[in-house]
Amino acid sequence: MATGSMKNYYKQKKSGIGKSPSKPKSKPTNKSPAISSSLGSDLAQPTVLIAHGSPDLKDEFGEDEEVLRQFDLNMAYGPCLGMSRLDRWERANSLGLNPPKVVESLLRGGKTGVDCLWDGRV
Amino acid sequence: MEIDAVAKNFQRKLSVYQSLDERFEIQKEMYRGQQYSQIYFIRLHKMRSLLYSLVEKWKPDVPVCTVLGLEEGKECIIVGTLYKHMKLKPSVLDEYSKERSVAPLVKSHNFMHPDDQLVLEDESGRVKLGGTFLAPSMFVTGLVVALHGKETSAGDFLVQDILEPGLPPQMQLPCGSGEDKYVVFVSGLSVGSNTSNPLQLQLLIDHITGHLGDEKEQSIASQIVRVVVAGNSVEITLGLLNGQALASKDQSRLSEPIKELDILLTQLAAAVSLDIMPGPSDPANFSLPQQPLHRCLFPGASAYNTFVSCTNPHSFELDNVRFLGTSGQNIDDLGKYSDAEDSLDFMERTLRWRHLAPTAPNTLGCYPFTDKDPFLIESCPHVYFVGNQNKYKTRLLREGQLVRLICIPKFLETGVAVVLNMRNLECHTLSFSTHLDP
Repeated sequence: MATGSMKNYYKQKKSGIGKSPSKPKSKPTNKSPAISSSLGSDLAQPTVLIAHGSPDLKDEFGEDEEVLRQFDLNMAYGPCLGMSRLDRWERANSLGLNPPKVVESLLRGGKTGVDCLWDGRV
Repeated sequence: MEIDAVAKNFQRKLSVYQSLDERFEIQKEMYRGQQYSQIYFIRLHKMRSLLYSLVEKWKPDVPVCTVLGLEEGKECIIVGTLYKHMKLKPSVLDEYSKERSVAPLVKSHNFMHPDDQLVLEDESGRVKLGGTFLAPSMFVTGLVVALHGKETSAGDFLVQDILEPGLPPQMQLPCGSGEDKYVVFVSGLSVGSNTSNPLQLQLLIDHITGHLGDEKEQSIASQIVRVVVAGNSVEITLGLLNGQALASKDQSRLSEPIKELDILLTQLAAAVSLDIMPGPSDPANFSLPQQPLHRCLFPGASAYNTFVSCTNPHSFELDNVRFLGTSGQNIDDLGKYSDAEDSLDFMERTLRWRHLAPTAPNTLGCYPFTDKDPFLIESCPHVYFVGNQNKYKTRLLREGQLVRLICIPKFLETGVAVVLNMRNLECHTLSFSTHLDP
């Protein structure tokens, strides 16, 4: 019975095909050893979220945010902490550093984060 | 009773004044939690663009690279900010260190040590500077320089030569109309101090306003066009400001020095144009650039339009002669972290480094600017003055351009004020003494 249901349980999936819903996979409880080496409770192992076939390890952000983060990390424009991204862009512009115009249009569009990557976290 | 012959009424000479203090004002700045990395970035960026253009004329065939791009054994030029690692520099982290060695108490005058080391830093990395070409005692943290040398196998950079930005370009000194016009500099009045001599100060004011002396003296006084008070005008006894609530009788003691100063400045402002700068002991903010003393402190003097309250550092133009000066904090701080024969050498160095206060914000309090470094000297002044020094000293730099360097002594201790003739940049002193020794 166990082997039979195993195949149904662990669906063979190719990465990239986003057809199947993100079904949480969990080890069946009868598999967990009686003596557990893990601390704390003997609950089942935590679930792993699979979205679109690859582990979803990033927060919700899109390509725009990725471009802005690269702008934050670029040392040529100075430190990013303590300034809003638009201020930093304008400063880079007035110093003649030619920051990418894409970043300016994204920032003025207003749909992206105003502050840098680490703002409030450091 | 003999009536005096018709007293000649001397007209004071006039001159055109323009204040250039806007770059030192911080009203428009908004603090958004930034750190000092921003001001260091601006400083490095601006000085590096300047140095890159100078390096091409200095050593055109040596390649320029960044600190991270250094290759062992390859001669190149790197540009970055200097950092001086000082053993004796007091650090707030020492309070938390586990080993409490019998460290000497902090002595306030000089933190130099033969083991001080220099490091060059840019945004890509930092490298220790080796070799004997650079003497750490001449440099301080915060300078931007270009270094020619090569990386050694030990990982540090062997310095062969150094390029400092040099004196900034200067506008031509106006030929002048040929008449003598004087500017009086005084600092360290310290009104309200235990040892201040009000008579000495009154003598100074009477001389400038023309109430002293015969006609010849009065005609000389009428040629004084401006008085600049360079900091430390009041001294509030430290015992009063210990953080506890003041009793009402103490509160009046707190404001007496300022009231006394206002009375004196009203007399001056009524007769001559006056600039007053804040200093380390004045009721102004602590960090540079210090903001102008508030008008409400001087109810009498601020009624006159000749009274101008200025920032520290102070920059202005008088008849197209450019003046730049501070109340002494920048030079005093250099004196704690580096060595020179006298204050004039420090002043000359700050001009050659094109930076008024290179130790800010490292050891000198400074506002965390994000988009400018107001202490960069872009245009060379004709007159560069520093207040609250121990002795009167002056020097004329002649290198294709003339710069008059003036160290203004503390009036409380010396009774000396400095007079500058704008026509030829000559300096002399006014010395007031009230000793009644036979």
